[in-house]
Amino acid sequence: MIRQQPGLWKALAMGFSNAVGTRRFLLWVDAVGGFWVCLGDEVVLGRSTSPVADVPLLADLATCHARIRRDSEGYLIEAVREAYVDGRPVVHAALLRDGSRIQLGSVVRLVFRRPHALSATARLEFASHHRTQPSVDAVLLLADVCVLGPAPRSHIVCPDWPAEVTLYRVDDALYCRTAGALEVDGRPGRDRAQIGPDSRIAGPHFAMRLEPL
Amino acid sequence: MNALVDAMEPGAEKPATAASGPRSLPGKPGDPPGARRFIYPSGARPLPGMTIKRGIGHGGFGEVYYALTDGGKEVALKLIRRNLEVELRGVRHCLNLKHPNLLAIFDLRRDDQGDHWVVMEYVTGDSLEQVLATHPHGLPVQQALAWFHGMAAGVAYLHDHGVVHRDLKPANIFSDQGIVKVGDYGLSKFISCSRRSGHTESVGTVHYMAPQIANGLYCKEIDIYALGVILYEMLTGRVPFEGESVGEVLMKHLTTPPDVSMLPEPFQAVVARALEKDPARRFASVEQMAAGLPPPVQPEVLTRVAFADAGRGTAPTLPGAPGSASGTAGQWLTDEPIFRWLGDLGRKAARSWNQSKNTPVKVAILAAGLILLLVFAQGLLPIAVMALGFYAAYAMIRAILAMVLPRAPAPAVPPGPQPWAGAPGPGPPFGPPYGPGPPPGAGPPPGAGPWASESAPGGSHAASPPQAQAGQRGPHAQPREALVLKPVRHRVAELLGSMLAAAPVVLVMTVVMVLVNGFRGWEPRLEQAAWLAVVGLAGTWAVLIPGKVWEGRHGDAMVRRFILLVVGLALGAAAYALASGLEVALLPDPKLSAVSRSRAPSLFYGPGGQPYLMAYLAVFATLFAVNAWWRQCDPLRAARMRLWSLLVSVALAWLVAELWRFPSNWLMMVACTMSVAIQLCSPLVPKRGRLPPG
Repeated sequence: MIRQQPGLWKALAMGFSNAVGTRRFLLWVDAVGGFWVCLGDEVVLGRSTSPVADVPLLADLATCHARIRRDSEGYLIEAVREAYVDGRPVVHAALLRDGSRIQLGSVVRLVFRRPHALSATARLEFASHHRTQPSVDAVLLLADVCVLGPAPRSHIVCPDWPAEVTLYRVDDALYCRTAGALEVDGRPGRDRAQIGPDSRIAGPHFAMRLEPL
Repeated sequence: MNALVDAMEPGAEKPATAASGPRSLPGKPGDPPGARRFIYPSGARPLPGMTIKRGIGHGGFGEVYYALTDGGKEVALKLIRRNLEVELRGVRHCLNLKHPNLLAIFDLRRDDQGDHWVVMEYVTGDSLEQVLATHPHGLPVQQALAWFHGMAAGVAYLHDHGVVHRDLKPANIFSDQGIVKVGDYGLSKFISCSRRSGHTESVGTVHYMAPQIANGLYCKEIDIYALGVILYEMLTGRVPFEGESVGEVLMKHLTTPPDVSMLPEPFQAVVARALEKDPARRFASVEQMAAGLPPPVQPEVLTRVAFADAGRGTAPTLPGAPGSASGTAGQWLTDEPIFRWLGDLGRKAARSWNQSKNTPVKVAILAAGLILLLVFAQGLLPIAVMALGFYAAYAMIRAILAMVLPRAPAPAVPPGPQPWAGAPGPGPPFGPPYGPGPPPGAGPPPGAGPWASESAPGGSHAASPPQAQAGQRGPHAQPREALVLKPVRHRVAELLGSMLAAAPVVLVMTVVMVLVNGFRGWEPRLEQAAWLAVVGLAGTWAVLIPGKVWEGRHGDAMVRRFILLVVGLALGAAAYALASGLEVALLPDPKLSAVSRSRAPSLFYGPGGQPYLMAYLAVFATLFAVNAWWRQCDPLRAARMRLWSLLVSVALAWLVAELWRFPSNWLMMVACTMSVAIQLCSPLVPKRGRLPPG
């Protein structure tokens, strides 16, 4: 119980910082899916009414149920309440690997994916029926780079796309890169452009939009 | 016909006729379909109160979007680009249809441009098309049945309300939280067989199109035809009529009879009748078609799973699930600590044995164990008998105490890792009843848990204890059904192969027996070795044949034992005839027998211990009846060669021989030869049985 206290404060502080800066957004990709993107190194998973949760799930969870933290080593999950990784209860923290199955409480099941070993960006897939509101296809824990493309190792697999599109982060600014024409918020350009929190990005073969949360 | 073919050509979709206002089609004509851009971008509000979030896909009728209402409700919006009055009327007729297996249509709206939008329920699950893409050789039978009964219930409801779907195909069938949903029916045509309207324009994917569509006949038989095609595809992974071109496929629909030979009964008959060229010879109704198939038993088989490539084990059963709970008699035994310890030890040894791929070492260990057993049998026997006696006394006292003392409450299911088992209560209702009458399936047994359906073909067993344990039952639960699907000709071919392969194995085993006996200082004569080889081979065949007949069926063990007893009698007679024909003297080995032979009945044994016909009959009949031989040739056994089965067979042979005072060395050698030959020569389904791909 003593351990939970500072974690909760930290989570509260993070919730506050979330409210201040744009640390999360929705990414709607036409013909591919919707994604809940978190930029922070620490992400709180909790129930949908939670003010502190970065990933609020419509499920029977605590306000701050678990935290997923990214550091130079990889990803750790810290359990505030009942949580399991690959069937084993998480006592303090557990390491997450590509394919790890996370269970929160007795019902929520997620699969942790880190598609590319060279990128720290990871994806949380839903294995139970619990979703965020509005429902998305996956949660993206964006570290530095997010690749959208046809390759199975892409962070967001877009099977019919002929080429890759990369979202990446320099300091706190987001950029988009692709080979060829790139239109951001109606302004035509080429190859690379900075994107804002509410940008529409379109190319000859794709269209997506960021929506701040 | 030509007009129809034209309409079916993928490129024949008409360009947007109403490219006015804000619309434009950014995609170039040569782009692949998935790479086409959508007319409305994310954030657009073509209808008041609804915001488009993203495009979902392009259908035959137009585009589908995912949108949120201002209140936050998720909906799918379908833009109908061709505002044909007949289609709109079809949607209007379907607006108030309510069925759990139909994708709900909320409303039909018109935007400022004059285009119509269908507001529909949004599903989060996969479509059957996506599921089929991950199962190139077909779905497991239970899963296919679950899909089929779900969609059949939805289509039956449509037909009951006078609507023909007209465009049933895997891309239109979804699974949402375990419930099958039939979509796109709003654009179905209202039943009007008399009204063969001038439309030659056809929708639907050509693979699922009934032959009479070419004549413009849209009756409910075309849905039954499409259901037959989908059922075929779910079971085999392929559509019945494939071709290089649309025309070729259509021609096959019209003329070629489908090849259903690889499907087992009752699937073969159902699919064949659903795919009749003459609509009048098909099933009269969907209910009739569904009634010909077994009901689905697992409700959760459709749960969406995202990690097919995660290399998880085969369908795990939940620890503590009713299906895996042992009866009370077995309960006592498993509670007993010594038995449990021995069982755990055995399981561990068996697991490491089965997981090891080093066959030469395995064979060496097996041979060494056998030699040690035979050499030291004399010394080991009394110890074993004593240990058994002690254990029996202990078990009896324990049983008495357990009866007298009040029972402590059983500990809850293993603490902690129950989580993966945490199913959220009983699954949602699957296939609601087809109108009045009881639902097609009895209450589904809570078989596999929510993670159950994610098994990778050939995936290794998960390492966590609950799943490893559950795996014991897992591989046997599902593919057993699939084995029934094996055509007779495959079965016969497999049986002949096994029987042929058994001959050299038996020969090698006979040589091993001769060597072992020679090492012990007693060399069998040539005719004795010949007797051993022939009887061993006959015994192997006598198990392989009924075993092949029984595989994949849940039969009563007692009936099987009785049949094997009869087989054993016949084999005993044959063995006796052979022994007298070859003038073989099967003399007992004094080192191996614990019981005195002096009081052997004279009807059974000669003065020198030489067995007569009665002895042969008794011994072989007992040997065949006491051992569950058919399990050793079960294609779903845990591993090809199990040491445990071999040891049990040999030990039982020794017991049987001692019981009848038969020369136990001979019976043990026969049992050992049979067990090795049966296990080595029977086919093994790797992990998860599937339908043969064709």
